[in-house]
Amino acid sequence: MIRFRSMAAKKARVNRRGDAPTPVKKDDLKQKRDAFLQTFFKRGAALTDELVAENKRLRSQIEALEEEGASLRTQLASDNAIRDLLRKIGQLEREKARLLSAVHDQADISSRFAEVESELESFANLYVASSQLHASVEVRAVVRNVRELLMQLVGVRSLGIYFVDDAEHHLVPIASDGVDLAALPKIALRHAAPADTVAAAIERTFLTGVPHVAEGHIGAAPAACVPLEFSNRVIGAIVIYALLGHKKGFVAVDRELLKLLETQAGGAIVSAYLLEYADAPMPTADALRKACA
Amino acid sequence: MTPQYTCLVVEDSPMMRQLLVLALSRVKNLHVTEADDGVDGLRKLASGKFDIILTDINMPIMDGLKLVKRVRSDPAHKDVPIIVVTTEGSDEDRERALQLGANAYITKPIQAPQVIAKVRSLLKMDV
Repeated sequence: MIRFRSMAAKKARVNRRGDAPTPVKKDDLKQKRDAFLQTFFKRGAALTDELVAENKRLRSQIEALEEEGASLRTQLASDNAIRDLLRKIGQLEREKARLLSAVHDQADISSRFAEVESELESFANLYVASSQLHASVEVRAVVRNVRELLMQLVGVRSLGIYFVDDAEHHLVPIASDGVDLAALPKIALRHAAPADTVAAAIERTFLTGVPHVAEGHIGAAPAACVPLEFSNRVIGAIVIYALLGHKKGFVAVDRELLKLLETQAGGAIVSAYLLEYADAPMPTADALRKACA
Repeated sequence: MTPQYTCLVVEDSPMMRQLLVLALSRVKNLHVTEADDGVDGLRKLASGKFDIILTDINMPIMDGLKLVKRVRSDPAHKDVPIIVVTTEGSDEDRERALQLGANAYITKPIQAPQVIAKVRSLLKMDV
């Protein structure tokens, strides 16, 4: 049975192989093949076109990306440059602050230096004035030193020195510079205030013991009038009529000097007079010890 | 070694002299000698070497102008810088002193910084 079936299948296969192709079928196959090839080539061409287009698109994309990359690189470089510049600006700002601080310090130092210089000048003048005031025991020399102090250290052009005459109740001029001594008036005390402004200022200074020293630019005379003190009383006055032309007013050191004269010049003059005219012998140590007891 | 300088101060007023010496004492390496007037100044010049002279103009016996003239005509000291100390209003004296060979002047009342600056400048000292 099995063999029969196998023979039948074999026969059928032989029959299928043995079928001779008809011309119609060949043409048909050829047409089919051509159609297939045409389709194939068309699809190939379309694919190629697609590939070319895709390639083009990709190239374009690559170019765009490259451009973008270049742009980014440029931006990055630019950012770095800006960062560098900002860092530099920061440095410069810090340097500027440091320099400003240094300049400020320098200005402080200069200002302090000027102050110290001025104080040093003041001390030097006071030292010289004080030592010169007591450098002599002769009335003439002491008065000359007072005048010289005012002319050389303060820059006084004209001055007068008045001394009280208790018996006559007058202030009497005893020395002058830059003005004629004979031309200076005696000033009556405790009468009606003198009409002359200079005389009035001298009398007021003597009576009150309060010095008058012009502030700022020197205007009308007197420029200054200072009392002469001795042993807690006023014994006279120094009147400064005018200063030298280039000297427009009194400065701090001048005021200090006038204060020194106020407290020491009267005493120096009186002491010199007493020593010069008392004709007393030099005190003995014993006498001095008793005097100190 | 730091150079040492010598200065002669010729001034008849003890107060002005003291003031000038005090001001000059602030100049380092400067030794100051004092003279009472022109004649005393010449005497001191003859007995020593000085790098600079400061002199007043109005002095008894021999004034500052005569001193300047004498110093400039003396070969030993003709090149020594001279500063004259003048008073305001004595422009003629100042001009005369400069004509006679003084190098600079300062006007009374003197100010220490001005004196120091002039001396340092003429001695070409470092500040």
